[in-house]
Amino acid sequence: MSLVRNFIEDWSRYRRSIDEGGFHEYEHMWGMVIDLDKCTGCNACSVACYAENNLAVVGEDKFENGQGMHWMRIERYWDEPNIGNERVRDTQEHGASFMPMMCQQCNSATCEPVCPVSAAYHTPDGLNAQIYNRCVGSRYCANNCPYRLRYFNFFSYYEDSWPSPLDMQLNPDITVRDKGVMEKCTFCVQRIRSTKNAAKMEDRQVVDGEVQTACQQTCPTSAIVFGDLLDHESDVHKLWHKHQTRLGTTKQKKDNPELRGYRLYEQLNTEPSVTYLERVRDV
Amino acid sequence: MKVEAKTCHEQTHRPLFTWTRMWAVLVLAGLLGGLSLSGSSSAGELMAPPRVHTPPGAADSADEPLGPFPGVVAPEGTYEGKNVEQPIEFPHDLHADTNKINCLYCHTYARRSAVAGIPPTSKCMGCHNVIATDRPRIKKLTEYWEKGESPPWKKVHDLPDYVRFTHERHLKKFLFDNPDMSVERVDEVCALCHGNVKKMTVARKQKPLTMGFCTRCHEANDGPFDCQKCHK
Repeated sequence: MSLVRNFIEDWSRYRRSIDEGGFHEYEHMWGMVIDLDKCTGCNACSVACYAENNLAVVGEDKFENGQGMHWMRIERYWDEPNIGNERVRDTQEHGASFMPMMCQQCNSATCEPVCPVSAAYHTPDGLNAQIYNRCVGSRYCANNCPYRLRYFNFFSYYEDSWPSPLDMQLNPDITVRDKGVMEKCTFCVQRIRSTKNAAKMEDRQVVDGEVQTACQQTCPTSAIVFGDLLDHESDVHKLWHKHQTRLGTTKQKKDNPELRGYRLYEQLNTEPSVTYLERVRDV
Repeated sequence: MKVEAKTCHEQTHRPLFTWTRMWAVLVLAGLLGGLSLSGSSSAGELMAPPRVHTPPGAADSADEPLGPFPGVVAPEGTYEGKNVEQPIEFPHDLHADTNKINCLYCHTYARRSAVAGIPPTSKCMGCHNVIATDRPRIKKLTEYWEKGESPPWKKVHDLPDYVRFTHERHLKKFLFDNPDMSVERVDEVCALCHGNVKKMTVARKQKPLTMGFCTRCHEANDGPFDCQKCHK
């Protein structure tokens, strides 16, 4: 009997490893879906991120130098007016498009292998972590990130970014980063950890929807969905599945052109955990 | 913006199970069956052998206890902490040792939150408006109480800001989920990281509380070993 049982167990594990892109041994696999058709570009997620993650406000001059510390940023793209003929130029899908950009939590991240001190590394729950007190500020990771989603503390922002009494609103669950430290979106890891702590105290598993990132919580159109990709009942897994997005591939094959869902620069084989729902169209 | 570039290394998902490959499945099954019949009870045991820790300096024989109480390997390391000047010299020995008050009676948040906390002055006054009211320290405490202030206690055990530590999970593992322990013996659990506070007057730092101190204990007691579990 053990022969049959072992065979069935190994076979199902093998099948699961194909379905889940090789991340089936993970405890969790935190992932995100951003529906670009719902996004209105209102920047509420960005503001929420500033409040949640103690992001420094750098001021206008430094922002112009590209030193802004916005972990969550809305990128705005205008369609070229000369593309397409006159008739289709004014159709609904032409005009401005918005794209919320945060760390894509790549599963084969380009930032991790270049860190000389292993401050950037991958956690067993599928997060691309940055350990601030280990970082020495070599900035290799930021230069190697194809998305430009890592931000460097060029100055001691903590000294003047929160003049008293504003320092009272700092989140105690996350470090105030010092000068010379690289930082980036963590998928609100402090919320994940506190929820897991509460779940462990009650001897249960984390329920879907229990962990909410700050951007997801604030989004007025619910364009952002966050959850555990390994939990087959979670909203985020259902959305990935529905739109035939999968891990472990460099191009999303769709049966139906109606299906949306692509990952950013996935042809670089970075394996991002964030899926954007938008029909890919050729201009 | 949303233009998909063609690349040369596109991966495709071929169906892995086809009837023409059934012979491979049969060979695999035969191998697995051979493994399972040759003594091991499951594949999981082959993959992950249980981690056995013997602390350096401790005897290797199983007769000697590993830690101060069963099921726990005590963290190693000592630290010579300086005496901290407190507004009132609170005698821990008199409360916890002589009068046998449970640690969790005053530090009540330890079992349900991240921080153990210092009790509010009202908790002190709960007893001390009738007990030992003529002593100089209690008179000083009553002054604070009547002014409506709390004594400016100094922190003795301080962790850096980039460390996430929860008392509740540690107490759950070592005390409440430990079948060999009872709540009356909570002072032994506290003593793992805080030293023998029962014998001190004003609390003093006796353990280093460094990262090495934490990780040695996490290794010995199968704690989480992921950086981001403790660093924030």
